[in-house]
Amino acid sequence: MGTVTRDVVLEALKKVQDPELHRDIVSLGMVKNLEVTGGKVAFTVELTTPACPLRERIQEDCQKALVGLNGVTDLQISFGAQVRGSKTGAGQTDLLPSVKNVILVAAGKGGVGKSTVAANLAVALKMHGAATGLLDADIYGPSIPIIMGVKGEPKKIEVNGEFKLEPPTAHNLPVMSIGFFLEPDQAVIWRGPMLGKALHQLMADVHWGDLDYLVVDMPPGTGDVQITFSQQLKVSGALLVATPQDVALADVVRAKSMFDKVMIPIVGIVENMSYFICDGCGKKHEIFSRGGAERAAKRFKIPFLGEIPITSSIREWGDKGVPILVREPQSEISRTFLEIASRLAGQLSVVSEIARRAQSLKIISS
Amino acid sequence: MIMASPIPVEINHRKEKGVVRVTWEDGHVGEYGCEYLRGYCPCALCQGHGAKIKFVEVPDAKLAEISAVGNYAIQFTWQDGHNTGIYTFDYLKSLCPCPECNRSKDR
Repeated sequence: MGTVTRDVVLEALKKVQDPELHRDIVSLGMVKNLEVTGGKVAFTVELTTPACPLRERIQEDCQKALVGLNGVTDLQISFGAQVRGSKTGAGQTDLLPSVKNVILVAAGKGGVGKSTVAANLAVALKMHGAATGLLDADIYGPSIPIIMGVKGEPKKIEVNGEFKLEPPTAHNLPVMSIGFFLEPDQAVIWRGPMLGKALHQLMADVHWGDLDYLVVDMPPGTGDVQITFSQQLKVSGALLVATPQDVALADVVRAKSMFDKVMIPIVGIVENMSYFICDGCGKKHEIFSRGGAERAAKRFKIPFLGEIPITSSIREWGDKGVPILVREPQSEISRTFLEIASRLAGQLSVVSEIARRAQSLKIISS
Repeated sequence: MIMASPIPVEINHRKEKGVVRVTWEDGHVGEYGCEYLRGYCPCALCQGHGAKIKFVEVPDAKLAEISAVGNYAIQFTWQDGHNTGIYTFDYLKSLCPCPECNRSKDR
């Protein structure tokens, strides 16, 4: 009767790969709190995100690797998460040092539903158990406070001898918006330096606390405003929101060109308003020609994270300040958001891992 | 949807041969001719808004400099000044011209 030891268990676990990071979980440092007492084996798998889309697969692989081992009588696998982040970009200093992952939600043009997508993805990440915040930098139409039903205003608080703004919370997320600095119905004409200062304040002067993810709703479009904004930040990556029409390709090309210029990776594309779910018969209707955003993703080798349907309820509850995920968590659209958030979190883990490993890249000439 | 995440460990501009040799983390090595690399520049100026990436011939393209972009891509600067192509690691790997990579190609 063989005895099982820590080393034997670790050797066996080296056969378990993280399916996205393509390395075994032991060398990734994901196996924690390993205890072997007699034949009882217990450990925690520390995932790179609580929204990990492959938790079940990893669990199965761990079980397969250990259940057959000589001497193992009992197996307890628990899961935790330690989000890893990486940031890149032209920003001189990191204006958001307490935030592990900063995601810019962008669109090549307005009207694609970017703000609704940003808000619901933030709520979805939170529902997966990640510490998440939402930043509305859409100076042309700061709608996040409405979509999230934010009541209350930022409060001045003192942090380490400095005055910062504490964001109000809505549905358990801290939400900050450029809209808080505007009078209602104020027509704002943004000029370069004033805009830059406002956006800088929106980030540097806000006390976010420790966050795994900060979802940033960017102004739609790809002009100077968006470029200036992007250049100030260190971000983890951009998420593009596009619609299904073939012309989406042109929007994606524009957005990609902009992010190339500011050297920010695009971590994914989502297609919004892919199809309409009729609230009468529940059938799916394709109103627009389907698949434009997915084709664009393929062409650029950008991960396609999913399709989001239109339903009448998403807008209705958006106007009432209740994200659809909160209102109807079991609905098809809510489950879609949760899946897409999972894939987004997975991609950010991959980006983080690649960034780490690519640090030793040598460029030479001979 | 799960990407293979190829990561280069060395990029060597072999000037006399006019090729760029890329060594990947898994040991794979690919040699890209400069004209070939330039022809597949992914930037919007070269590719336009077309649905597929196409080869845009620039005869006698000469490479001036190679630099890393963040930790996710490579920028090639050409002697004619062209430098807007940002080649992500995935994209660069997908261009690998070696016979092994070309067996199942879908570009």
